[in-house]
Amino acid sequence: MNRGCLRGRRRATSLRLSALLILAAAPVLVATGCRKQGAATGDVSVDASITPQPVHTGSEVVAFRLANSAHQPVAGARVQVEGDMSHPGMAPVFADAQEISPGTYKASLNFTMGGDWVVIFHITLSDGRKVERQMDVKGVESN
Amino acid sequence: MTKPPVAASPAAEEKRPAEDEEFFESQPFDLLRTPVIGPLLRWRHSRTFLQIPLFAVSVAMILEGLLGPTLSPKNMATVLTWVHFRGALVIAILCAGNLFCLSCPFMLTRNLMRKWIHPRFTWPRQLRNKWIPIGLFVGLLFSYELFGLWASPWLTAWIIVGYFAAVLIVDGLFTHGTFCKYVCPIGQFNFIAATASPLEVAVRDYEVCDGCATKDCIRGRREPSSPLVVLQRGCELALFQPAKVGNMDCTFCLDCVHACPHDNVGILSRLPAAELWNNSQRSGIGRFSRRNDIAALALVFCFGALMNAFGMVSPVYTVEDWLRRTLHIQSQAAVLGVLFTAIIVVEPALLLGAAAWITRAWAGVKSSWLAIAVRYAYALSPLGFGMWLAHYGYHFFTGLYTIVPVTQNAFVDLGWPILGEPQWTLVGLPKTVVEPIEFGFLLLGLAGSLLVAWRLAQEDSETHPMRAFAPWGVLCVILFLCCVWLMTQPMDMRATMLAG
Repeated sequence: MNRGCLRGRRRATSLRLSALLILAAAPVLVATGCRKQGAATGDVSVDASITPQPVHTGSEVVAFRLANSAHQPVAGARVQVEGDMSHPGMAPVFADAQEISPGTYKASLNFTMGGDWVVIFHITLSDGRKVERQMDVKGVESN
Repeated sequence: MTKPPVAASPAAEEKRPAEDEEFFESQPFDLLRTPVIGPLLRWRHSRTFLQIPLFAVSVAMILEGLLGPTLSPKNMATVLTWVHFRGALVIAILCAGNLFCLSCPFMLTRNLMRKWIHPRFTWPRQLRNKWIPIGLFVGLLFSYELFGLWASPWLTAWIIVGYFAAVLIVDGLFTHGTFCKYVCPIGQFNFIAATASPLEVAVRDYEVCDGCATKDCIRGRREPSSPLVVLQRGCELALFQPAKVGNMDCTFCLDCVHACPHDNVGILSRLPAAELWNNSQRSGIGRFSRRNDIAALALVFCFGALMNAFGMVSPVYTVEDWLRRTLHIQSQAAVLGVLFTAIIVVEPALLLGAAAWITRAWAGVKSSWLAIAVRYAYALSPLGFGMWLAHYGYHFFTGLYTIVPVTQNAFVDLGWPILGEPQWTLVGLPKTVVEPIEFGFLLLGLAGSLLVAWRLAQEDSETHPMRAFAPWGVLCVILFLCCVWLMTQPMDMRATMLAG
């Protein structure tokens, strides 16, 4: 086999390999470009606090107030509160919030370990719209 | 397997003590001769076949890290990198060998690049050691703590991008496997961990090598009529199979397997960690006892495991506060710098210095204390590996199923919910199951370290092996207790820099 022929074969192999790489990468490139955008629900705000402070591991009360853009309380929402560790691979914790007065809710969330947490409020408004808000909880202390 | 002939291959004869040879004689397992895996690995394109899926996953991780959810537990980049990849890597090394380097996606792009770009430079002689990757490895551990890399999909994605770029730049400029051998911090981690692996790429029959004139395993195979045309690469990391010892610097790329015209290279079983007390001349490496850089790598590997775990438990914040008050420093980087220096430099220097001094004084070993410390530093790597296994294994097993909801979520975000709604409650194995596994890993590491220290002591002092062993045995036990203490501390993971 002469050198030119070998080079031709190698070039063909390279092209096949390049095509394979592009094929392997293409679905994720295309798919990510199609990522769905979140619904426009910027008119609902969450004003939340956790007591007692500083936050410790164990069950803590998350109290929050839902308000619309006119600062009026948002009543009748169903809210699930989710707590996630900053580190991936840790079990999230969930709690359903109770409305204790119009627009004011509370949930009991069990912080299972110390560290930085993120609390996510999964809110279903009375008209069926879904909203998500999140709050950072830094430095939950171990008991 | 045939024993290496005494007269023809003194280096090969020196490789393995007689009792180890008995072990190999009785365990002639060869992964390349197994029914399904064997033919797959012997296939010339096996490495590419394994690399392509990992490359696709890497691209997905980069895109998800840059464009996906900003919350780390919901992002594929952070979940796969810090939970699954690390855990799977160390478990694969424990159960088989350096399988990540075998299927390294970075090398796929590098090999593709080298189809067109031919490097012109050779890596400078002064840099042909492990000091640069040791610095990079420590830098990676330091950045992990300082920037809370686990909490940032964006930074995680850029690390992967940076890795691809570094591979292409280094191996685009320099010949052979420069990046793998002299730069890659993950590779060095794998090399030192794989000294405890049960499998190694090795010669099946040394007599066949004695009769080999072409040395294709290192030179590669070339077109007879056109010697410049390489048909099959030889070892790019300068490991000549008949004189190769163990897994150090071996990426399991299998180039030597494909190059050998006698089908005389296999993936063979061996006594894990036995290479750590083997001080014979190694191809491409030299003698372990003369490689201060590899000994330092072993120490960074061991004490880095402690530091990495210490950064994840509550007491680290008490220590950091104390350092701030005592040293009057507020910068988080400076506090971490002091902590890293104390645990990765000062602590090993003091402990190994003391143990070496006692060995010299009490057992009458004639070497200098530094030579003794270098020699026994390798004994600590199994314990370090045990700690990495316990730590990464914990995250891997307790977060085993988290990839399911993360993948479901990625498809939901794409508007294509074929896998259903994310099941965020899918997490992993319960701690009650995982904790015994963690302590099993630590005990395994301790056993390995004690065994290596004992074998080194037997060689160093025929009259008082116990005296030579005792300080190192005590050191191993102290470090083991530190590991156990760390694993029993409450987890407290704060992304310090991000937390402000």
